[in-house]
Amino acid sequence: MSQRHTITALVQNESGTINRVVSLFRRRGFSLASFNAGDCEQVGFSRMTFVVDGDHGVMVQVLRQLDKLIDVVDCESLEPEKSVSREMVLVRCQPRPEQRESLYNLVLEFFGKTPAASETAVVVEFAGDLAEVERLIEALQPYTIQEIVRTGLVAIKLD
Amino acid sequence: MERSGARVVMEALERQGVDVFFGYPGGVVLPLYDEMLNWPQIKHILVRHEQAAAHMADGYARATGRVGVCLATSGPGATNLVTGIANAIMDSIPMVAITGNVNSWAIGKDAFQETDIQGITIPITKHNYLVTNVDDLPYVLEEAFYLANTGRKGPVLVDIPKDVFIKKTSVAFPDKIERRGYRLPPTPDAGQIATAAKMIAEAQKPVIIAGAGVMHSHSWDELRTLAETCDIPVINSLLGLGCFPRDHELSLGMMGMHGEATGTLAVQEADLVMGIGIRFDDRLTGDTSKFAPNAKILHFDLDISEVGKTVTPIAFVIGDLKDSLQAVLKEVAPKTHPAWRAQVKSWQETYPLVVPEGKFLSRTVLRALNEHTEGEAIVSTDVGQHQMWTSQFIKFKKPHTWLSSGGLGTMGFGFPAAMGAKFAQPDAEVWAVVGDGGFQMTLQELQTAVEFNCNVKIALLNNGYLGMVRQWQELFYDHRYSHVAMGSPDFGKLAEAYGVKFLRCSRTEDLDATLEEARAHNGPVLCEFVVEMEENVFPMVPAGGSNSQVIMDPALKTPVEAAK
Repeated sequence: MSQRHTITALVQNESGTINRVVSLFRRRGFSLASFNAGDCEQVGFSRMTFVVDGDHGVMVQVLRQLDKLIDVVDCESLEPEKSVSREMVLVRCQPRPEQRESLYNLVLEFFGKTPAASETAVVVEFAGDLAEVERLIEALQPYTIQEIVRTGLVAIKLD
Repeated sequence: MERSGARVVMEALERQGVDVFFGYPGGVVLPLYDEMLNWPQIKHILVRHEQAAAHMADGYARATGRVGVCLATSGPGATNLVTGIANAIMDSIPMVAITGNVNSWAIGKDAFQETDIQGITIPITKHNYLVTNVDDLPYVLEEAFYLANTGRKGPVLVDIPKDVFIKKTSVAFPDKIERRGYRLPPTPDAGQIATAAKMIAEAQKPVIIAGAGVMHSHSWDELRTLAETCDIPVINSLLGLGCFPRDHELSLGMMGMHGEATGTLAVQEADLVMGIGIRFDDRLTGDTSKFAPNAKILHFDLDISEVGKTVTPIAFVIGDLKDSLQAVLKEVAPKTHPAWRAQVKSWQETYPLVVPEGKFLSRTVLRALNEHTEGEAIVSTDVGQHQMWTSQFIKFKKPHTWLSSGGLGTMGFGFPAAMGAKFAQPDAEVWAVVGDGGFQMTLQELQTAVEFNCNVKIALLNNGYLGMVRQWQELFYDHRYSHVAMGSPDFGKLAEAYGVKFLRCSRTEDLDATLEEARAHNGPVLCEFVVEMEENVFPMVPAGGSNSQVIMDPALKTPVEAAK
């Protein structure tokens, strides 16, 4: 049964590391729904979060193949109930003047932010789990969305 | 001590015990080729095309178990290595490929002969490096050899910009490689071992399929002891040939698309299939849903990503095969399977390999070659019909004597690989069995063979076709032969031009004399065997087909039907 898996990996930063990791997904035909990489608590290392669609066997193969990469120090699949996963999204809307107030109220309801605005545009910032991000984007539809930028999921385990 | 990056490379080769390596010079590796003159004890073989350098390094590694080293310049030199590197990773061959690149400040500017060889080889190396700081070079080179030859072996590429060869460093080589997250195979789990032993004890109709992992882990003695102790017939994967003596009474030869029928039938009938150091590839399993339908599958490997990749086993043992097999041997009691052995024997009698008489066939030649070399010679091949017949008819007795392009199936591999093996094992008799198609892909290395008096014998089976492709067109495309008839030069004149001894044979009556003369000559010999044009390889399991539906050799006199 195909489902969504969240996988995190600790990798050593080297020439070609990101290329090598992402290339693995392409080459072996794993379906990569999202990918994020960034610095972590250890100097010279990064943490990556992958969202992969596939059955249990695919998830196991992804982990085993990732683990074989020399740059990958550790990797694991996170259980939803024992981890936190979030995605950040920036959305630039172009509300009509009379919509501005309701846009601000909407963002407040979502516990989002509006870090920048011009005469014509408002930038909405929000972080939440995948469903919340999708809900926000849906709710912003009336405000003339011009651009959406998403980080991809980042995830951390609880213990 | 401060020394140049070029010197560091040569020091690294010396530290690793590299006695011979294979390369081709060019602009950016000039500093290294200059330094090389100071190191006469490390022999550099100047090839005529970089692909051959990679194949020679591969052949060297297959014949010894040591890391093969090849070297090329940037750009086209580096890209010419690519086929050889891909060939090595598919068969888990330990190799270090060193490439030069343009000066580090010119990288990314599309400089002359610049290519992103690190990016190109990411999917076909175990690991690769671009070294932009000469201080990193001692560690990287040491780690490259370590990675290439530990765990699941494979090729590692080190790309070195020209200025890094010239710059000086006083950084010493590391005493020890410690790489976070790089884990050597675990000690086999006691529970897994106990399960394996129980499955062996309970089996009534067990078979072993032994692969190249046995070679890589030097565990052929353990394999043999296990087979003999528990009375288990041993089948080899293509690349496993040699890890179990073919003349042993428990040996059933190769199985797979063109494996001997007995092995394939035995797997389909068995109640226990032990895959030892194999990766259950599609040419071996056929349709995986119909593979070994009555068997519990027990998988021994060092690489857990191979478990369940194509065939899902009931149980597995992960670890270095030598450790795993030794651990299992402590847990198993001697047993026999007389009924099963009798069944297997009857298949062997019913479905032997056949060589029809009255024609001069590739099989006629290979049967004779086997009689002359008695399974003792190192034999290499390309890919195709000649490869399958060689795997069937040469009765390999020892590990590291069979060099064949298995996973990638590379035409042009056999001849340079044989040369690499000969440089590694100067006292061994080495034969390259090639077809007229594949030979024309790397025959330029005849010049290299002449220059170094590399005493390899080439058995060129010339049938005027790309034989395996022709066979598929005959069987599956209604005899519509599309671009498979292959013209060739006059190989006698070619050999003469290169100064290579040449023998041509087109009659069974001359075969023994030809082989004797070739073997007696101290130097490279090109033996052209002008064989029957349309000869097919049997048995055959069509691609993706079930192993229960083996197409037997029509020349078999008994009417045959494969086991269900």
